Amino acid sequence: MSAPLLEVSGVSKRFGGLQALSNVSLSVSAGEIVGLIGPNGAGKTTLFSALVGLHRPEMGRITLDGRDLVGLKPHRIAAAGMVKTFQNVALFLESTVLDNVLTGGLLRHPVEDARALARRCLDRVGISGISGKLARDLSFPERARVEVARALCTEPRVLLLDEAMAALNHAEMDEFMDLLRQLRSEGLTLVVVEHHMRAIMALCERLVVLNFGQVIASGTPAEISRNPAVVEAYLGRSAA
Amino acid sequence: MSRLSSTQWIMIAVLVAVAIAIPFLFDPRGYGIRILCLALLFAAMAQSWNIVAGLANQISLGHAAFFGIGAYTSTLLLIHFGLTPWLGMIAAAVLGGLAAFLISLPTMRLRGHYFALATLAFGEVMRVIGNSWGGLTGGPVGISVPFSQPSLMALQFKDMRAYYALMLGAVVVVTAIFVVIKRSRLGYRLRAIKENEDAAEVIGVDTTRTKILASVISGMLTASLGTLYAQFQFFFDPDTVFGIASVSIRMAMIAIVGGIGTAAGPILGAFFVIPLEELANQVFSAKAAGLSQLVFGVLLILVILIEPKGFMAIGPRLKRLFARGDR
Ligand SMILES: Nc1ncnc2c1ncn2[C@@H]1O[C@H](COP(=O)(O)OP(=O)(O)OP(=O)(O)O)[C@@H](O)[C@H]1O
Ligand SMILES: [Mg+2]
Repeated sequence: MSAPLLEVSGVSKRFGGLQALSNVSLSVSAGEIVGLIGPNGAGKTTLFSALVGLHRPEMGRITLDGRDLVGLKPHRIAAAGMVKTFQNVALFLESTVLDNVLTGGLLRHPVEDARALARRCLDRVGISGISGKLARDLSFPERARVEVARALCTEPRVLLLDEAMAALNHAEMDEFMDLLRQLRSEGLTLVVVEHHMRAIMALCERLVVLNFGQVIASGTPAEISRNPAVVEAYLGRSAA
Repeated sequence: MSRLSSTQWIMIAVLVAVAIAIPFLFDPRGYGIRILCLALLFAAMAQSWNIVAGLANQISLGHAAFFGIGAYTSTLLLIHFGLTPWLGMIAAAVLGGLAAFLISLPTMRLRGHYFALATLAFGEVMRVIGNSWGGLTGGPVGISVPFSQPSLMALQFKDMRAYYALMLGAVVVVTAIFVVIKRSRLGYRLRAIKENEDAAEVIGVDTTRTKILASVISGMLTASLGTLYAQFQFFFDPDTVFGIASVSIRMAMIAIVGGIGTAAGPILGAFFVIPLEELANQVFSAKAAGLSQLVFGVLLILVILIEPKGFMAIGPRLKRLFARGDR
């Protein structure tokens, strides 16, 4: 087997008295779609933030293609090829959709080239019809797609999607999953946080489960759905 | 997309025609044209301020620091070394840029009021240094620019219309720089920082570098304009060129009144604020010094409360009003 593209080993992150991540290890090979699941507050978003450099873990290593990322600022990690979308959606609200996406393209291109690339990204995500609208005037599902287009416009090798499908209906979700599969076939590596089990089971070949900041299981969707610890984690929470 | 529309071209042509005609309507040695020159200078200053404040929403209240550095640098080089103010202006820009770089380092992470207060303090520190380092600056009594034979080289003129042309040139240059920045990578990155700094970083914007670069450009331009001010006034003191009210707040107010973040805003603002201020000074100053400042404070508060986007928001507003009337 080839060396993993993204490798996380022993990462811990604490917020005051709360251990948000403890000793998290996982690895993602190039061209995989990995699902990251877990109950609310499990630490999924915190792990993504650590991966892109928004939080600095107290311990552990994060490497992309062998290069250590811990301590790098987010823009350096973006340049190295890893970006995330924001769960609560963080667009440039006073700018147009096109300008939002274009700003991602500036990472590797001058303005005019970035604009052309942005148009292609909008097209791929299926929202070229709204490119002239201000981000603040968009519906939530539209905003989530703009986030994805903006991230794609940085031409990443690894894309981390934090509940990008949360507000989509079934048809839109199927369409979106087709897009992700196609991106994967073009060489993109994806880590997807999603609460929709149907979507995650259909999309990912491998799942990693977080609970209370710890990895409690990883494996194929079929293995995960039979894993007693996972069932316990979900049922334990929803029963409470 | 980034090209000007035909109405914009027509507006620019009209403005240029008016700008050329105006000085001939005034007494070339009179008071009116002096006010016009000051309005142009302040338009350029507010435009320099607009690069950081308007595009990145980092509201500086310390730009007097750069302005004063510029005024003193060229003047001291002229007095001690006989250096032409043109070269003095380059030195001023270098020092202004350096000062902007140094003050960026500690203030960059600050936002909103904290940034405003930190920059305000920086301006005040420069004013105190200007007043107390008498050996260099001449201290509180001020400093005079030595007269020389009027010429372009000496950046001194007998005819006020020459100063008018100079200040007009400054407005055009600084506005062009603002527009180019706004449409460039730097402009997009500054707007991204303004609207969501974390998101900007995550998609690859080096927010630290971007902010420092914009501050340095803004500081360099402001310092260069300080040199023009010195050559225009021939006399100044630390309280004037490093002043909070006389420079820092005025620059901010002009841009805000006119329309922060827009290219036309600082120009509109300056041609509203500066003449009105002169008028208020004439009306009130005999009876109550300081009253005109009060009037201005009230005015600024009104603008911010009623229309935070300034004069530039009036156009779209009228358009909407007419559009409604059409139906
Ligand atoms: N900046 C922060 N400061 C303090 N605590 C935080 C911070 N960010 C997250 N937390 C806490 O860390 C824990 C993990 O949060 P995180 O957002 O990573 O969970 P999550 O798995 O993404 O949950 P969800 O499914 O609800 O999005 C939670 O208890 C949360 O309250
Ligand atoms: Mg989350």
